[in-house]
Amino acid sequence: MYRLVPSVCSYCGAGCGVLFEVLDNHLLSTLPLKTHPVNEGRLCIKGWSLHEYVESDMRLTGPYLRLNGRLHQVTWERALSFAAQRLKEIVARYGPDSVGVLASAKISNEENYLLQKFARAVVGTNNVDHCARL
Amino acid sequence: MTNSIAELEDAGCIFVIGSNTTAAHPLVARRILRAKEKGAVLLVADPRRIQLSLYADVAVQHRLGSDVALLNGLMHVILKNGWEARDYIAERTEGFEELAALLMDYPPERVAAITGVAPEDLARLAELYATRKPAAIVYTMGITQHTTGVDNVKAICNLAMLTGNVGFKSAGVNPLRGQNNVQGACDMGALPNVFPGYQAVNVPENHAKFSQAWGRPLPDKPGLTILEMVKAMEEGRLKALYVVGENPKLSDPDMNHLRHAMKNLELLIVQELFLSETAQGAEVVFAAASTAEKDGTFTNTERRCLRFCKAIEPLGDSLPDWEIICRLATAMGYPMSYSHPEEIFAEITRLTPSYAGMSYARLGLSGLQWPCPTPEHPGTQFLHRDRFTRGRGRFHAVPYIDPAELPDAEYPYFLTTGRMFAHYHTGTMTRVSPHLDREQPTGYVEINPEDARRLGIAEGETVAVASPRGRMEAPARLCRTVRPGTLFLPIHFGENPTNVLTSAEAMDPLAKIPEFKVSKARLEKVEWS
Amino acid sequence: MAELKDLVRQWLDSGRVDLFLGYKEVAGHPLPYAFSPDNLEEVEELVVSPARYSLEKLAASILKERPQLKIGLLARDCTRRAVQVLTIYNQVEPGQVELLDLSCCPSRPQVSCSALSPPQVGEVKRALGIDNRLTPEQFEAIPAAERFGRWLYEFQKCIKCYGCRDICPVCFCRECSLEHGELVEPRDLPPEVPMFHWVRAVHMAGRCIDCGLCEEACPVDIPLRLLYRQTNRIVRELFGYDTGLTLAQPPFSVLGVGPAEPREAAGGGK
Repeated sequence: MYRLVPSVCSYCGAGCGVLFEVLDNHLLSTLPLKTHPVNEGRLCIKGWSLHEYVESDMRLTGPYLRLNGRLHQVTWERALSFAAQRLKEIVARYGPDSVGVLASAKISNEENYLLQKFARAVVGTNNVDHCARL
Repeated sequence: MTNSIAELEDAGCIFVIGSNTTAAHPLVARRILRAKEKGAVLLVADPRRIQLSLYADVAVQHRLGSDVALLNGLMHVILKNGWEARDYIAERTEGFEELAALLMDYPPERVAAITGVAPEDLARLAELYATRKPAAIVYTMGITQHTTGVDNVKAICNLAMLTGNVGFKSAGVNPLRGQNNVQGACDMGALPNVFPGYQAVNVPENHAKFSQAWGRPLPDKPGLTILEMVKAMEEGRLKALYVVGENPKLSDPDMNHLRHAMKNLELLIVQELFLSETAQGAEVVFAAASTAEKDGTFTNTERRCLRFCKAIEPLGDSLPDWEIICRLATAMGYPMSYSHPEEIFAEITRLTPSYAGMSYARLGLSGLQWPCPTPEHPGTQFLHRDRFTRGRGRFHAVPYIDPAELPDAEYPYFLTTGRMFAHYHTGTMTRVSPHLDREQPTGYVEINPEDARRLGIAEGETVAVASPRGRMEAPARLCRTVRPGTLFLPIHFGENPTNVLTSAEAMDPLAKIPEFKVSKARLEKVEWS
Repeated sequence: MAELKDLVRQWLDSGRVDLFLGYKEVAGHPLPYAFSPDNLEEVEELVVSPARYSLEKLAASILKERPQLKIGLLARDCTRRAVQVLTIYNQVEPGQVELLDLSCCPSRPQVSCSALSPPQVGEVKRALGIDNRLTPEQFEAIPAAERFGRWLYEFQKCIKCYGCRDICPVCFCRECSLEHGELVEPRDLPPEVPMFHWVRAVHMAGRCIDCGLCEEACPVDIPLRLLYRQTNRIVRELFGYDTGLTLAQPPFSVLGVGPAEPREAAGGGK
C-alpha cells in the first residue's frame, strides 16, 4: 500500500531520477533519487513538483468523440472503431500519404517506436514526425 | 550530447551559447557551476543576460541571430594567434583550407559590427576557449531555432574541431534536449526519413529489413516533416492527422496559419493527458495515461536510456499510449499485441544496432548510454573517441546570413521567445501544478526599463506586442535581462500565445526548425477607452 | 545486521509496529522501503543505506493519511532529533513512531552515512564563496564585511528548487513563508537575494536539527547547514534552547498556547 517507485522526470532532457511516494494508488510527493547518475539526489522546482499534474482534475479520464459538433465521452470501443474506420476510409480514398502522424518527445521510447511502426506498417506512410523542432 | 552531463564538472572551459541553463536545464547548470568552482573557465554568449552570466569569466550579449558571425569571429582570432590544434586537424578532419579561407572574412571589427560584441571580448573568449582544454560547448534552442539553425550547429562543430575538442572526456559539442524524450523519439525513428536507429528509409537493405520484421511492404520515400504537413493540410493533400502527446496549436510557429490549415482536415485524432488547445478541435480524443501510470524508457540528452516504473493505475478510464496505439492498429486490421512495454523494448533492441545490447534488466535504474551494441558493452560515455562516425570530421565553411527578419521602422523591436524556470513547454502539465503555477500564473513580456520609460509603460501594465503575423497582449515585466530594443516572451501560456507573432515561413531550409528566436515586433501601450 | 533484521521481524510479527521503514536495494540503488507483516520474508533484504532519505518525513506523510498506524523506522541520530521536533509540533504523536537506532553520528563512525563523506569544495568557491566544511566559528573568523559578500555569491546561484524545504524532515507548514509574496517575490531567478534564504533561515530557528539533508539536496551547493547552524547557535545562546535534544516547547511557540501547528492543518510545504 505504501511504496516509493523509481521514475524519470519528464520536464526536460536531463533525465533526473525521481521516486514517486505512493500510498494506496495515490501520489503523495516526488523525491530525488539519491544515487542517480544524473542528478545525485537533487532536483529543480519542476522535478520536486512532478507528481502534481498527474492526478489533476483537468486530466482526461476517458475517450471523447465529436458528435453534432461537440465532444462527448464515449467507450474505448466506440472511439477506436470510429478512428480506425475513418482512417481506413481516408487511406482508401486518398492514399496513405494523406495521413500524418505526430509522435511526441514526451512519450516513451516504446510508444514512439510503436507509433512510427503504426504510420509505416499500418497506414503505409513515412509522414511521421515529432515536435522537437518546436 | 557527444559527452555526458557529469563529465562537464571536469572541463577546463565551458562555453554556454544559446542556453538559459539554470532555468531550462537546472541540473545541468549544477555541473557547470561546479566546474566553474573547481577552476574551469565559464564563457557565456546569450542575447539575454542570464543567471549563469553572473558567474562567467566572459559574458557577451550578442545580437539575436548573429551566432555564425560570432563563432566565425572566434575562429578567426584563434587562427590568427595559432591556437588551433594542428595535429588534430591534420589527422582527424577534412575541409580545413576552405574554412580557413572563409574565416579571413571575419575580422573582429566586422564581427563587432554584426554582433555588437567588442573586439576585446571576442579575443578573450577565443583565447580562453582555445587554450583551456578540455573545452565543452553547451547549447540549446537558442542555437537551433533559427533560419540558420543548421549553420549555427555547423559553426559550433567547426569551433570544437578546430581546437581539437571532440572525442575527449569533458569536451565536445553538447546540445541539451528540451523535452524529456526528444532524443528517444529521434532514436526510435519518429522522423519522416529514418527507421529506428537512424536507418534511412530509402536505403534498400534497411527497407527490406523492416518490411520483413513488420510483415508488410513499407513505403521507401521519405515522408513529410511537421511543417511540411501543415503546408500539405493547407493545400488539401493531408486529410487526417493523428497527434500524440503534443500541442502543436501552441507550439507551432504560426498559430493562425495552423488553425486555418487544420480546418481542411477530415479527421483529427488527438491522444493527450489534457484537453489541450489542439485536442479541443479534434474529432476523436484518446485519453492517455501519464508517465506515473505506466512502464517504459526515456532516453535523455546524454543518450542514456532510462527505465521508469508504473507507480499508480491509469487515471479513470485512460490508457497508456502504447496500449492505445496497439488497439488502434488492431482495429485497423494489423494486430499489435504486447503484454508489457518490455516486450516492445526487446523488439526495438533486435532492430536498432545502437540499442542492441540493452535490456530492462541491464538498464536497472542507472540506464545505459548508446551506442551499446552488445550485451557485454558498457555503453558509451562520450562519442568520437578515436574517429568520427563518418571517418574524418568535416569542416563546413559557413558564411553569416541575417535572420529572416530584422527590426525596421514599422516593427522596431527584436522579439525572442523561450522558457522560464517554473514551466515546461506549452504549460499543459506545469500550469495545473499548484507549486509551479504559483511561481508564474500568467504570461508576460520582458521589456528593458529604458524602452518602458520611453513609452511610459509601468511594471505589470498590459501591453500589446504586434508582428506582421498578429498581435497579442501580456503584462509588462521590466527587467535588464533583455537589452534595450529587445522583447522576450515565455512560450508556456496559451492565453498569451507567442505563436500568433512568430513566423511559419521563416525556417531552417534543412532542419525545418522555425525561427522562434528572432522576429521583428512592435510594442504598444494598450489604451483603454 | 542479522540482529537488526531479527528485531524488525519481531516488531512486525508482534504487532509492535504495522509498518517498518528501512531500505531495500533495487538494481544496486538503496531505496526506502516499507516492510510489512504480510511479507516478513522480505526483511531479509533490508539494508542500511549510506544514501540518506528522511524516513521520518515519509512516516509523517503516511501518518497524515493513516493516523491509526504505528510505524517503525531505521533511525540515525538525526532521525531521533527530527522525531523530537515533529512531536513538539504535533506532526507525530508519541507512540506513533518507533525508532530502531543505528547510532551513526561521526562520533561513532561504525555506520555509513552520506554526511560522513565531506563534500568536495572547489578552489574558486573557497576563494569567493563559502567552503561547505566550515564550522560557524571558523566562518565567523572571516571579517564581517567579507562574509556578506560570500553569502551573496552563494545565494545568487540559487535556482529556486525549494529542495531545501521539500527534503527537510521538519518542514511541514501548511502555508510556507517562502511562498508569501510579501516576504519573497515569486517568479524571479535567482530568488530575491538575500531574502529567500533569510526567510528560511529565520524559520529554521528552534526547528533545524542539523541533519544536513538540505545541503545534500541543494543543486548548487549553498552551505545551508552552516547558515542554519549559525541561526541555531543564536537560539542556544539567547534562549538556552537545544533544538532536537529536548521535548520542551521552543522559545518561539510562546505566540500561542498549545500546539504550534494544529494537527489537521498539517500539510507540509507541498
